Amino acid sequence: MSYVQAEGPVPEGRGPLLQVKNLSVHFDTPDGVVKAVDGVSFTVGRGDTLGVVGESGSGKSVTFLTVMGLIDRRYARVEGEVLFRGRDLLTMPDEELRHIRGDQIGMVFQDPMTSLHPMYKVGSQIVEAIRAHRDVSKKEGLEQAIELLGKVGIPRPDERARQYPHEYSGGMRQRAMIAMALALDPDLLIADEPTTALDVTVQAQILDLIDRLQQEFNAAVVLITHDLGVVAEHCDEINVMYAGKAAEYGTRDDVYYGAHHPYTWGLLQSISRIDRPRTERLRPIRGAPPSLIHVPPGCAFHPRCPYVMEVCKVEVPKLIAAKGKHASACHLLLEEKERIFKEEVAITS
Amino acid sequence: MTRYIIRRLLWVGLVVVLIVFLAYVIFFLMPPVDPARAFAGKRPTPEVLETLREQFGLDRPFYVQFGLFVKRLVIGDEYGWPGFGFSYATRSPVREELFQRALVTIQLSLGAAVVWLLMGIPIGILSAIKRRTFVDRFAMGFALFGVSAPVFWLGLMFLYIFWQKLGIAAGTGYVPFGENPLTWLNHMIMPWVVLALLFAAFYARMVRGNLIETMGEDYIRTARAKGLSERRVIVRHGLRASLTPVVTMFGLDVGTLLGGAIITETVFNMPGLGTYVVRSVFQGDLPATLGVVVLGALAVSVMNLIVDIVYAYLDPRVRYA
Amino acid sequence: MIALLTALTMVAAACGGDDGGGGGGQDGGQDGGGEKTLSLAMESFVQNCGFDPTCEFVSYWSMVYTNVLLRPLMNYAHVAGDAGGEIYPDLAADYPEVSADGLTYTFTLKDGVMFGPPVSREVTSQDVAYAFQRMASQSQGAQYAFYYEGVIDGLEVQKEDALDIDISGIETPDDKTIIFHLAEPTPDFAFRMAMPATAPIPSEVADCFKESGEYGRYVVSSSSYMIEGSEDLDITSCDTMQPISGFEPERTLSIVRNPDYDPATDDPALRSNNIDKFVVEVNTNVDDIFNKVVAGELDTSPDDPPAEFLREAVGTDRLPINAVDVLWYIAMNLTQPPFDDIHVRKAVNLIVDKDGLLRAAGGETVGGIATHILPPGMGGPTPEEYDPYATPDFAGDLELAKAEMAQSKYDSDGDGVCDAPECKDVLLLSRNEAPWTEYNPILEDNLGSIGIEAQTRELEGGVAYETMSTTSNNIPIGAHAGWGKDWPDAATFFEALFTSAAIQPGPGVNNNTSLVGITPELNDERELELTGNLEGVPNVDAKFDECGALGLDEGRVECFNELDVELMENVVPYVPYRWDQEAHLISDDITVWEFDQNAGEMSWAHMDVAG
Repeated sequence: MSYVQAEGPVPEGRGPLLQVKNLSVHFDTPDGVVKAVDGVSFTVGRGDTLGVVGESGSGKSVTFLTVMGLIDRRYARVEGEVLFRGRDLLTMPDEELRHIRGDQIGMVFQDPMTSLHPMYKVGSQIVEAIRAHRDVSKKEGLEQAIELLGKVGIPRPDERARQYPHEYSGGMRQRAMIAMALALDPDLLIADEPTTALDVTVQAQILDLIDRLQQEFNAAVVLITHDLGVVAEHCDEINVMYAGKAAEYGTRDDVYYGAHHPYTWGLLQSISRIDRPRTERLRPIRGAPPSLIHVPPGCAFHPRCPYVMEVCKVEVPKLIAAKGKHASACHLLLEEKERIFKEEVAITS
Repeated sequence: MTRYIIRRLLWVGLVVVLIVFLAYVIFFLMPPVDPARAFAGKRPTPEVLETLREQFGLDRPFYVQFGLFVKRLVIGDEYGWPGFGFSYATRSPVREELFQRALVTIQLSLGAAVVWLLMGIPIGILSAIKRRTFVDRFAMGFALFGVSAPVFWLGLMFLYIFWQKLGIAAGTGYVPFGENPLTWLNHMIMPWVVLALLFAAFYARMVRGNLIETMGEDYIRTARAKGLSERRVIVRHGLRASLTPVVTMFGLDVGTLLGGAIITETVFNMPGLGTYVVRSVFQGDLPATLGVVVLGALAVSVMNLIVDIVYAYLDPRVRYA
Repeated sequence: MIALLTALTMVAAACGGDDGGGGGGQDGGQDGGGEKTLSLAMESFVQNCGFDPTCEFVSYWSMVYTNVLLRPLMNYAHVAGDAGGEIYPDLAADYPEVSADGLTYTFTLKDGVMFGPPVSREVTSQDVAYAFQRMASQSQGAQYAFYYEGVIDGLEVQKEDALDIDISGIETPDDKTIIFHLAEPTPDFAFRMAMPATAPIPSEVADCFKESGEYGRYVVSSSSYMIEGSEDLDITSCDTMQPISGFEPERTLSIVRNPDYDPATDDPALRSNNIDKFVVEVNTNVDDIFNKVVAGELDTSPDDPPAEFLREAVGTDRLPINAVDVLWYIAMNLTQPPFDDIHVRKAVNLIVDKDGLLRAAGGETVGGIATHILPPGMGGPTPEEYDPYATPDFAGDLELAKAEMAQSKYDSDGDGVCDAPECKDVLLLSRNEAPWTEYNPILEDNLGSIGIEAQTRELEGGVAYETMSTTSNNIPIGAHAGWGKDWPDAATFFEALFTSAAIQPGPGVNNNTSLVGITPELNDERELELTGNLEGVPNVDAKFDECGALGLDEGRVECFNELDVELMENVVPYVPYRWDQEAHLISDDITVWEFDQNAGEMSWAHMDVAG
């Protein structure tokens, strides 16, 4: 059922930290099989920043929850490989995986209010994360937690550590979550929509913080978002996902200045960009995301694609690299893609 | 915090007084029976009625009686503190019998509470963890039974099976702990279990529901993402949040039971507040009825207060500044 | 957890001493070292006056007083049947000496009758006089002082301390003699001297207790048994007295032998004294009481056995049945239409399905059909001998009833069915418990068939009594009531039920609910607040006075029987429907069963259990 994918070219950097190969995650539901992730591959190198962009239902979150081992395998069928430092996390026993989770891979979630336990002090929640993987006393753990809180820019961290999540502001909570995720100096930080629940002004702060910390902790970062605008400044590479598959993959410049997939074009057209003059209205992509149970045949995007051809309705396009590592899954010819981008997308977006 | 508690305690006092007032109103406005007449025998003469009215304090208007009652309650009367007056039916101070019976009811309630916590919560947790397996379905089936079976039927069935037919359990009745601890226990087990079954079933369902819901919360996902063991996730993160409402319910349930578990006490012939109040109401024994009303109101109010305090301690989001 | 609990139960059961299980453990008969114990349980003690003999007027405790605890001047043999209505000297050495004019009764006390511990001294005539002083002291709330007030010269209920009351009609010339001077001849005076309130009371104990019912926890024995723990009562002063441990109100009552009792002062016909100890406990679970009787853990109960126990035991020797002198009746208010018309009342007597009512109550075990007022044990005719409103199988007869109704002014067209508006919406007072819940449809049906539309109000027993016994309520008809004798004499029925003197105002006071003998003058004078038709109401005062003045050997019983007939045929205040029987469920440990006909209860004086 899965098909051979291009592996996603090995990026610059110091060797792949995380390699996802042909990952698919299918959930059995009473209504049918939900193909949340259907054949996705990509690589993250040490120190890289990967942006994963897509609408809700694109499979972006499920992919990384599966990487972390947070998907309940009783209800999902997972196939493919997830190699972290060369070891397949999918076949690893949970006891081992637990030691990687939180320690070598940290994850930050979307809504910090609900993601922190309301009944424990923030400090002790961080201490708990630390003591799960290191043999330190509570006192030492607390000292470390306070230090971390300071690093993420929370003022008076010693007081704040003794407070409860509801006593923090939204932005501060997210900082605390980031602190918790980085507490053990992980090699990979996965941030799933870290700014979506926050004010616009705070969003920028948090993203900058992540950048800064990435440098400081020397970690790779995966930034999951539905907002192409967010990844613009902060990501080296971008993976655009649609209906459980990768639609396009490339560097930031590749995507912003020469996208090759109609979906990406749609996304670009629907955001406002400061570096372009404001033209008429934003143009949303017409149609709605598809059901993951009844995925349209052929190219999943074809019902919404302005450039749909007959072949799109029957044959699933493969993710094929055009230049370098810039790949797209679309039946349009390269010339066509470039032409359309230049003539229609670049002007209007 | 201390000021808060004092303020709440004053409210408790006010609530109790109000409830007693209501009881007085009901007692005087509702029944067509003259309490003195009920104790005056087959052919009462005016002198007998006059004497009884005087000795029962019924010759005063009811607000005067009420005022005297509250005053005696607070200051005490010739029988001790607090003053509950004397029983029309037994012609003895209400206080001594009231406290004796309160002790029995406390033993019954607290024992049952322990039993239902020990039964209900583990079953609920197990059910939640092993959701939709046979264990879960069996446990919820048991819960449905426990919630549906009427207490008096359960009690009678238990007596019939374990005492009458199998002869392994002690029958009805109460033996004080001081007299013989093992016999005391023997007599308490069935009432405890019967009384606890309903609550255990209810709590099992509640715990199960709460825990399942809690385990779907985002912070559980975070806890797992931190790499914690599943056991720690369930106990420290899941249970902590899902048991908080259970604590509230527990306090209120115990408070209500402390006012007397009428049916269980009657079926098992336990000399507690439940049987006492039934008898007193039927006989028209106002002081005895009021005694139980006061204790019951007090128990519920105080437990309410305790529950609020404990809840604030457990859930920092609701703490008062 | 359940396994743990079960294990715990079994351990406790194994080690837990005497309550091992149903059938095992505490046997009804045996206790400790071969002590014969009669153990009973009842749903509630129902003591109206705290078990103080001066005021308590309830039959079960009456039996306990007269059988085992107290010795009045006169007493009964405590046996069943007519023999149980015979009176004998108990504290008195012999029957009283009566003066020729019937106004002076002289009793001589026996020697050597002792109060039990802690008093432990000989009973004197002053102790008997004190009992009457107590009854006269209003604060004691004596519930049947009216049997002596106005009868004994100078005995008036007054607001004084008992010892301060001087009753001119009672003389105690020496420790062994007591003389009563009566205000008028009272042929049943000897019976009045057999009531528990007249038994001797030690003033050194009782005088500490001034309020009604208080003495009940300190009762000192003058008979063969005492309350357990009496010896520990500290009587050095009023302040040192603590309630006797053997009696916990509404919980338990334990009665053991009185060590100071001398059987030589007693008559075995009155007391056999077989049993060593009596224990009565409260058990709120009625089924459990009888399960325990069947299992042998209890010996019996004064309560009525539920139907399934009756069914299972009927006909065996575990269910002795005794007639008691109680009448259950439907009372019609002679002043309230349509019952102010004698034809209507007779029609009602002819239509009521007495057999149906009896079967609804449980059939022959609970009693027999009543055809007139006085129960057979009081010397009246049997149903076969006298049934003025006989119908086939006692089921009521529509034709006969209609024939009677047709003669009534409320049946304008003479078809035997009442058509006047007075027959619509007639309030029928009844009770809300079994068996009245079964009666009510039957009665509504019966009355309906002769055109009386009854609206039944079901009330709790005590409330029903009080409602109908309050004259100002003017209730037309009530099916809730029963009446029992106070001693074996018809006067104890007729005086309260049918004399005009008994009609008094106040809540729950009037027992003459049919208002026999009422006049408009009496209504005004006593402020009874009666509505309804007060003219021409039948009156039996004259006949009552006539019979009441007769002695037993002067035709008293026959006279009262005539009054019964007069009431049934010319006054028709009631529909009598059942003369009661009591069925008791007993365990196999009871070797001798006896019934105290006067008290209407089992006889502790003569029963015996396995040793």
